[in-house]
Amino acid sequence: MKVFLGVDVGSVTTKFVLIDEQKNILTSCYLKTSGDPILAIKEGLRYIENTAPSGAKIQAVGTTGSARSLAGVVVGADIIKNEITAHAVAAITRVPAVRTVFEIGGQDSKLIIIRDGIVEDFAMNTICAAGTGSFLEHQAVRLNVPIEEFGKLASQARQGVRIAGRCTVFAESDMIHKQQLGFGKPEIAKGLSEALVRNFINNLASGKSIEGPIVFQGGVASNEGIVEAFRDFYRREIEIVVPPEHGVMGAWGAGILASEYAPQESSFQGFSVVNRSFETRSFNCEDCPNSCEVVVLREDGTVKALWGSRCGKWTPQSAQQRSADTETGAAEVYGYGSS
Amino acid sequence: MKATFPHLAHLDIALGVLYPTLGVEIVPPPPISKKTIEMGVKLAPQNACFPLKVTLGNFLEGIERGADTVFMAGGVGPCRFGYYGQVQKIIIEDMGHDVRFILLDHPRYGWRQFLDAIKVMMGGRFSLVRAKRAVTLAWQILRFTEELENYRRSLRCQVEDKATLDTMVEETLDRLRSVEEIRTLANIRDEARANLRDFPRRQREGMIRVGIVGEVYIAQEKRINFNIDRLLGDLGVYVHNSVSTVEYILHTLPFFRSRDKHEAWQLARPYLNRFVGGEGIDSVGSTVRYAQWGFDGVVHLYPFTCMPEVVAKGIMNQVGKDYDLPILHLAIDEHAGEAGLVTRVEAFVDVLERRGKMGRKTLEAIGR
Repeated sequence: MKVFLGVDVGSVTTKFVLIDEQKNILTSCYLKTSGDPILAIKEGLRYIENTAPSGAKIQAVGTTGSARSLAGVVVGADIIKNEITAHAVAAITRVPAVRTVFEIGGQDSKLIIIRDGIVEDFAMNTICAAGTGSFLEHQAVRLNVPIEEFGKLASQARQGVRIAGRCTVFAESDMIHKQQLGFGKPEIAKGLSEALVRNFINNLASGKSIEGPIVFQGGVASNEGIVEAFRDFYRREIEIVVPPEHGVMGAWGAGILASEYAPQESSFQGFSVVNRSFETRSFNCEDCPNSCEVVVLREDGTVKALWGSRCGKWTPQSAQQRSADTETGAAEVYGYGSS
Repeated sequence: MKATFPHLAHLDIALGVLYPTLGVEIVPPPPISKKTIEMGVKLAPQNACFPLKVTLGNFLEGIERGADTVFMAGGVGPCRFGYYGQVQKIIIEDMGHDVRFILLDHPRYGWRQFLDAIKVMMGGRFSLVRAKRAVTLAWQILRFTEELENYRRSLRCQVEDKATLDTMVEETLDRLRSVEEIRTLANIRDEARANLRDFPRRQREGMIRVGIVGEVYIAQEKRINFNIDRLLGDLGVYVHNSVSTVEYILHTLPFFRSRDKHEAWQLARPYLNRFVGGEGIDSVGSTVRYAQWGFDGVVHLYPFTCMPEVVAKGIMNQVGKDYDLPILHLAIDEHAGEAGLVTRVEAFVDVLERRGKMGRKTLEAIGR
């Protein structure tokens, strides 16, 4: 059976999806990245290996997310795509009539405008975290509410309180002020949801024509309080769809892209990756005043990839050459002597 | 007198030839690096435009290397570039450096000052003959550096061996630094042109073509704009840049005229028919031109908070709607993150590719 693997390593969560040739999801998982993407990738691979249908053979792998390059090297990707394309592809596959995609993840949020099944425009916020999942999570901790129950709490509110949502700092002080006035937790939670929605709309959707159906995906889409707030914002005039797969849409998209790309022979490293050891270290390349911080990824001691040099002269080959040429080069690249 | 000056793409090569020929000793600032940016950002007003901060960093590094004079261009107009020099002068004086600041303003604001500044920049002696030869040579060199960059950005997506292309361009640029005569320049130029034209390339069918518009500094200085030329080229995109220092200077000079800019201003007319400062009109006009040339998309580069480009941004969106042309706006300053920029550019290229597959609407189809 021919299957394709999609991997989405984000700032907060890591998603794996295994699909068949008809783009149907066979198995998927949703894990916390917890600041260690390599560990999360290994865990995800182990899960996929255990839950994959018997006889499934991975034909191609696609990676996306902020750690897409790293994941691409570790898993052995055939295609490495940005999150915007991956999310759009999944949304179009899931809801062919989609005209707008809202994606709210851990550290950034995206708005994708789709017309006739093609991406026409997109916007992404990275300047401010007030419209993202981290903001909600942070405020949930302040309210002493588990993030999973935040949405339910918000839906219990009789009314919302208006909380300034322009930036995290303002929102926080405003929220505390409203708490001190005696508003209950459900009202505050609802107010925060509305603030996030306003922030999203002001930051990303200004000047763009938002048409339905809207597909709302990303981790935050599981928060019913936010979904309700979006519906209220559009006075229920625009249809908002939250697909059951909303959490793993990026990975699904990466899988679909991999299946469309379908190489002759996949660069997939196999499930044995989980047994290999990966190590990341960095050094400052002092060849010019830029002093780029070059990040080295090593797999079982051999250099697999280097990132971060502006001039692009650092490749596994050049690093090897350099360490063969000079002893200091070896120390630089491999960290011998220094550690 | 040991003079330093700001970097702008390969301007340092031309100035490095010009000043010594005029008898002015120069201390070129080191190439723009993280250190340059840090120095400038630390001392400049927080909400000043990014180019002010970077050029301030250039001056400080030049002074570190022993410069006692700073050459800077100025201007008056509805763009903050006009006070870059003034602000930088005050900052440098406040730091306690004993440095002479020579501001070259447009002669419109005083022929006397203009000529005085020119006189200092020529080493105190004003000789028309000597000046003419040196300026002509430097001008030709500047022109050729831009030509080389044009070759590089348009060839990048078509060649297999990108590293050799880079080396070829860099080596030619280096050779220009020691040029003393027009004849030597002509030889280097002919040789480089022949080499670049014969560079083995792939078929150029179905290439995605993207035009760059925007503010003169950010759109050209690749150490600041995350080398967007290379980023796009590596994604297989044919890149054309409408922004050029040569045209900028031509446009500013009295008695001369930039045909390129004149055309852009004409094309911008239906959308914007008054000067909004900086390169606002040029960005709008060039966007219209790219649409007419049948380009697939436009990347708009400008410093964060740049007033003229923000005006242009709003108008360009209307141009994009009218001509069915996607535009990616990228505001750049010291806080711009490379990861976010790369994601946006990649996604933009994906958008263009997917649109290309569906067949881009022709100008006739959209009623133009």
